[in-house]
Order: sequence, then C-alpha cells, then structure tokens
Amino acid sequence: MNKKQGPVSKLHRRDFIMVALKGTLGLSSTLGLIGLIRFLGYQSDPAPQTEFELGPASNFPPGSRTPVPEAQAVLYHMPAGFIALSLVCPHLGCVINSVEQGYACPCHGSRFDAQGQVLNGPAREPMRVLRVEQTPGGQLILYTG
Amino acid sequence: MKANPTRPSFFHHLHPPTIPAPQARFRYTLGAGGLSVYLVLLLVITGILEMFFYVPSPGEAAESVQTLAFLVPYGWLVRNLHYWAAQLLVVVAIIHLLRVVFTGAYAPPRRFNYLLGLALLLLSLLLDFTGYVLRWDEGVQWALVAGTNLVKSIPILGEGLYRLVVGGTQPGPAALIRFYAWHIFGLTLALVGVGAWHLFRVRRDGGIAVPPPEARRDASRISRFELVRREALAAILATAVLIVVASILPAPIAPPIREGSPLAAEARAPWFFLWVQQLLKWGDPFIFGVLIPVMVIVLLAGIPYWLPNPRPDELGRWFPAGNRAASLLLVILVIILLLLTILALSPLSTFP
Amino acid sequence: MQTIRLFLASLLLCLSLLGAAWLQSRQPRPVSLLPTLTGQVEYCLTCHADLPEISPSHPVETFGCVLCHGGERLALDADLAHSTMRGGRNPSEFAVVEASCGSGDCHSGTAQDQRDHIQRAVTSVQGTYAGAIASIRFTYGAQSDQTARLGVYPVQDDHLTTATGLASLGTFDPSQESSPSVKAFADYCLDCHLSAEPLPGAQYARLTGCAACHTPTANTDLDQPVHHLTTAIPYTQCNTCHNRGNYDLRQMQFHPRTDQPVDRLHDYYQPIAQFVRCEWTLDCVDCHTRFEAMGDGDIHSNKKEIQYIQCRTCHGTLDELPLTRTIAGQDDLALRMAFLNPVIDLKVGDTVLVTEQGEPLWNTRQLADGAFELFGKATGQRFTFRPVMGTACEQKLDQQESRDCHECHSVKR
Repeated sequence: MNKKQGPVSKLHRRDFIMVALKGTLGLSSTLGLIGLIRFLGYQSDPAPQTEFELGPASNFPPGSRTPVPEAQAVLYHMPAGFIALSLVCPHLGCVINSVEQGYACPCHGSRFDAQGQVLNGPAREPMRVLRVEQTPGGQLILYTG
Repeated sequence: MKANPTRPSFFHHLHPPTIPAPQARFRYTLGAGGLSVYLVLLLVITGILEMFFYVPSPGEAAESVQTLAFLVPYGWLVRNLHYWAAQLLVVVAIIHLLRVVFTGAYAPPRRFNYLLGLALLLLSLLLDFTGYVLRWDEGVQWALVAGTNLVKSIPILGEGLYRLVVGGTQPGPAALIRFYAWHIFGLTLALVGVGAWHLFRVRRDGGIAVPPPEARRDASRISRFELVRREALAAILATAVLIVVASILPAPIAPPIREGSPLAAEARAPWFFLWVQQLLKWGDPFIFGVLIPVMVIVLLAGIPYWLPNPRPDELGRWFPAGNRAASLLLVILVIILLLLTILALSPLSTFP
Repeated sequence: MQTIRLFLASLLLCLSLLGAAWLQSRQPRPVSLLPTLTGQVEYCLTCHADLPEISPSHPVETFGCVLCHGGERLALDADLAHSTMRGGRNPSEFAVVEASCGSGDCHSGTAQDQRDHIQRAVTSVQGTYAGAIASIRFTYGAQSDQTARLGVYPVQDDHLTTATGLASLGTFDPSQESSPSVKAFADYCLDCHLSAEPLPGAQYARLTGCAACHTPTANTDLDQPVHHLTTAIPYTQCNTCHNRGNYDLRQMQFHPRTDQPVDRLHDYYQPIAQFVRCEWTLDCVDCHTRFEAMGDGDIHSNKKEIQYIQCRTCHGTLDELPLTRTIAGQDDLALRMAFLNPVIDLKVGDTVLVTEQGEPLWNTRQLADGAFELFGKATGQRFTFRPVMGTACEQKLDQQESRDCHECHSVKR
C-alpha cells in the first residue's frame, strides 16, 4: 500500500465498495423483478375457440338472420353471401341483445341498426363484421379471431 | 445506507438504540430467532406467489402444483423456495428453542415470552402440515387420513373437532378448502399475531438475555444501525443459500390423488411427525398420538416454571450451572424424539 | 468491513439469481397439445414430438396421448409424467384395456353398435385359452367332457348368442390340479394366449392385449418401441404364436420348429404342413374373419366352435355360387372396414362376398363377368378367381374339408 495516499484513498475505496454493493443489490432486484414478471405472465387457461362449424349452408336460407350463441354472433344470409356480425359490444364488451329494428346493449344503452351501424349510445364503432367461409362440402365455418 | 442517528427510520426504530455486544454475537444466539422471522417473511411472499396458480379443489389441486413445478417460468423456484424455507423454519425454530433453554433465557421476566415462542413452534408445525396436505397427491393421502382420525380419537370433543377440521364425514373437497383457509389465512394470521407479540415481548423484557450491568465482563455495545446491518447480511446470505438449495433440490411431488389411486405398501408421515408415527405403531391412537405429544408440549412449557432457573448473573452465556436440570431434560427429550424418528424410518415389517 | 461483507453477500445473491435464470433457460420449452376429445391441454409432445402418428384413425390432434395411455399430462419430469400410465408401454394390456381402449365412446359396448371389440377379444379362445386348457384337462382326466370350465383369467358373458356359448369361466389354477401332466402343461405351455408374455426371441416378438395382433412387431427387437396400430395384419404377426412348432403331449414339451426359411413359401407354415396356393400367398386376415380372429362375443370351449371359413366360402361348390351381398348404404360394415384399410375402393352398389354367418369379406368384389377380385389386406396385391361352379373341379359335395381340396390343389415345397 502506498503510504502517501492517506484519507483520500480510504474514501475512494469506501465509495467504491458502496457503489459495488448498491450495484449488486440493484442487479439482484432487477433479476428478481424480471423473474417475477415472467412468473406472473404465465397463462394457464387455453386460448378460446375462434373457429365455429355452423353446419350445412342449406340450413340458413337466403334472407335469414340466425343467432349463433356459442360464437356470440349473428349469421346473415345476404344476396351477396354469408356474413356475420359480432354481438360483442364495441364499447366495453357486453353481449348485445337483438331487438326489433336492430340491436341494443344492456350495459350502457348503445343501439345499433340491423346492419350493425351505431344509432346512439356510448359506442363509437359499429358492430364487428366476422368472416364466414364455405367448405367445398357446403359446410359453413365462422371465424371470430 | 446513510442513516440519520437523530431521526431513525421505522425499521431502525423497531430495534433498541444499542444492545450489549457479546450477546449480539452469532456464537451466542446463532441468529436463530432472527432467521425465523426472515423465513416467515420469505414464506409469506413465496406463498402469495403460489396463490396465483394453486387451485384448492381435489380434482385440480395436484395438477395446479404440477403447473407451477413444470410450466410456469420460475414456478419451480418459487415452489422449492417455499418448501425448503418451510422445513428450515421448523429446524431453525427448534434450534432457537434449544438455544433459549441452553442459555437459560426463559427465566423471569421472559417466561411468558417462552410460552409465546412454544406457541409459534406449534403454529409452524401446523402450517407445515396443512401446506403438506395441500399438495393433494399420493404422498400425502394417508397422512391426511391418519392425522384427521387422530383428532377423532380425542374423547368427548373428538367428533366435533373432526367435523370442524374436516368439514364433513371424511376428507374430501370440504377438508381441502378448510386446510387451504387455515394455511393461507387462519394459521398465518395467528403466526403473525403471536409473532408480533413475541417480538414486542423481547423488547419489553429487556432484549436478548444478558447478565446485569455489574456482572458484565465486556461492557461494549453495538448500535441499532450495526444490528440492522447484521440482520441484512444474514437475510441476504440466507436468501442466496435458499435459492441455491431450491435450484438443486426439488420439493417432493407425486401423482394426484384420484379414484383408484394405488395403495402404498408403506405410508410415511411428514418428517416432523415421524416420531408420532412411530409412537402410533405401539398402541391406542389417543394415548400415543394425542396424549403423549401433548405431554411433551406440556413438559417443554413447564421448564421455566418447574425446574430451577439460572441466576441473573449467569445469563448471557451457554450452559450456566443454574439450569443444568432443564438443559439435561431437553437433551434427553431431543434424543428420544430423534430415536423415535429414526425408528419410524425402518421398514414396517421389522419390530418395532 | 461490514460493507465488504454486505457486498460479498449481495454478490452471492446475484450469482444465485443468475444461476436460477440459467436453470430456467435450460428447461425444455413446453410443447402443448389441446386434443379436441378431452379439451385438456397436455405436454407429452415436449419430449415425444418425434413419435409417429399411431394410426390414421387415431390422430393425435383429436385424441392426444393421455386419453389412451394415462399419465400426468402437465408434468415435464419423466418419472412423474409416466407414473400413472396404464399398462406401461402398452395400454392395450387386458388388465387396463377397458380404461384405455374402452369406455362407451370407443371400443367397448354392444354388438348392435358394433362397439364390442373388447368384449369379443376378452371372451375369445385366443384370449381365454379355454380350448387348450379344456382339452388337456379332459385328456388327463381332470374333467369328464370337453366343455371348457376354466380360462387363464375368469370371464363372464351374460348375453349368449350361439348354441355353444358358455356363461362363464373360472381361473385355471395349477395348484388346484392333481394330474402332473396338467401341472406340466401349466408350466410349459401357457406362453401363447393374448395376455401371456411371449417367449424370448425375435420370432415370438409380440405385445399383449389388443397390440398382440394390431401392433406389428414380429421379428423385431421388442425393446424398441413400436407406436403403430393397424388392421392390415401380416401373417408374420400371427406367426408369433402360430406355426412356431409342435407340442409333445406325453412329455408336455414344446418343440420349436428348427428350419431356417428364406422365403415366404417356406416361412409361412411349418415344414410338415399341407396348404394350397392361396393359403400361403394371402395373409391369414384375408380369409379368417373378424369373428374367427377376435371372437363373436360368446365364450367357446374350442376353436372348432368359432372357426368356420372354408374354401367354398369364397369359391362356392359345383352346385352353389358363393354367398354375396350388395352394399346398400353408407353405414355398411364392409364400407367402414374398407375405409380403415383402403386396399379396395368399395362403393355403395358394389357386391362383396359374405360368409355363412353374414360377415362381409370386404376385401373382395364381384366383377361384371361373375368372377371375383380380392385384395390382400396386408400386401394390397390383387387377385382374381372364378367360382367353382361350371369348372372341371372333381370335388364331392359331402367332402368340403380343407384336406379334401388339398388332395388336388396342395403345393409342393
């Protein structure tokens, strides 16, 4: 040890150790936090179903409007083809009720017309349009994903 | 770390301004009491984390434990930490009990606090047992049946107590939910409450047992800040060691209890109850499974009241002459319990 | 000084956390599978993703693994995951087959639903070994007639459909037998029923239970796992028990065949056997029907009561054409069998041969000119043949045993 370096060197060493201590504690805390976030981020529930088999297209005559409760949707057979509207309210996710001239949400009063356009209410977006495909065998498949 | 001596933080204020240095040394207290407090804290934290995934229903309990052990990132670490901290708590609490008796630190005014400490040991054992049952796997099935039937063996109160503990006529969904409620809330609340009282009494009774000032050979003292630094060191070291142990040694896990689960050739009690299992091989469940263990507890509780206490100037060191009887009794008791535990591990077919 | 100790302790803490992070990174990434039949996610594929699909009728996306095998679906530790598997590597062992292959939706149920596979296999002569046991006990005076009373396991049948069906069998227990020959039979001759472990040797290599026939393992190393179920069973699989040698009933000894065949002709049957060309060209399953191989649901005393296929079942006699049936609807059993093993493209409207008991020979089809085509179930080979009627065959109508056809048609080796 260099005897010429008196109190100044002691100070440097103490500060260094303090910095090292704070550093390792900080690193430990960060590692712990990262581990905690990964731990809590694990999802055990399986992803919900996004494809629904509706059956033969012949079950849904032209002009029909058929509720599909398990998919929370309504199936329309339009002149142009099959289309579905999601009954999940675009406002905050409640399931919308069918009413005479369209749809009404029981939670905050949003109203939509039969095409899903907003008539009034806190909702600002229209009801979501969902994809419907027909297999070569004539079976309909609804996609909610 | 810059502590202001005139305005200590809440945590520093919990500690006395200074304490005698000789009795603050590791070789005197072994740090067992403080380590117990820290382990309880670690158990509460890891336990809360486990609650995010554990499901207290017979069909899902063991599977949720498997999810934690294999699928959740660091789930294995949280589970193993919880398991090893729990077993270490029982061991460290017993070491603390041994230390307190061997140093005569139960003498008045500390006799009531000694009883509080015994209560904490019992609560820790009950928490260990209820936690063990929550695994709901083939390893715990018979401990649950035997343990709850022991309750039933108590005269007069047995049936009623059994219904209280099990919530039905046999261990099933109701028992699991009750054990869960006891483990995460009822017993934990009691542990924290009695624990806080125990720590308060430590301070009110004058801190770590020391001889009166005129009998002290070394009058040096350490500040509360130094004390907290030592506690922090112990806590950090204990955490690191537990993490290493948890990484190397997994907590036990077995297939879930289901209809048609195979019957074990030999069922083992959890390690801390092996001595009771051995006793039960010898006869009547109430006498050997309830009465004798209760007598052991009563014997331990009676030490400060029935056996000679050390003189005040003898305090602050190990094995003073004044409480030889108590130390001897405790050593004999420990040897008996150890022997019973070892006997319990021998195969069932060989006597005893 | 104290600060240095604190620093070192926190360094240790840091390192232990890094160690834990490293251990976490070494965990296998869980591979999940959500079978549509169970709706419960399983992680077996984390380690077993390279296992082949067991059969086209049991796709893993639909069945998963646990539905058939048992086991812990969430565990990634091998010992725990495999601890509750049924039957070890073979869930079709008879001790556990009902839980693995059975249950109302699968291969256990009533004959009307055509879901009685387990009931038929478990009561079959190949399963109970009742025929061998009854014959030996009768021969050595332990019972007074040849009606079976005992099997290798106890079995009951509450629903008898044939005249020779029995209500139940007890367990054959050699310690209860007094004849030393019967005891010797129990010691040396019980290696060939469906729940028996096979003799050592690749020529005997088979599993037990349903897999004894439906998992082709003949002439392989049984220690290698075979993850395969099929209805296209080659003759080699049958030959893990059949055609393996002869029994000396006086000494109660089994004498394995000692020839070293190099081709199918010499490998198929024992050197002393007599057979015609189709018997060694086709596989056993091409002629022997479902009832013959797996049982008809009744407990029988002897294989003679269940074996009924004859040359004339396919070829007819000089007087009669063989029986046929035209497939009328999509639900026909013949169509379902052909779908499982598509060696033949059967359609509604096709005419297939049927046996005297109405079992369709679904690998056959009548051609426009009255001849028939047949497809080997294991080989896919196509054969054509004409009925006997109108040919120069010299058969006598009251001599329809196989030895009678062998008089002229047997093959010289």
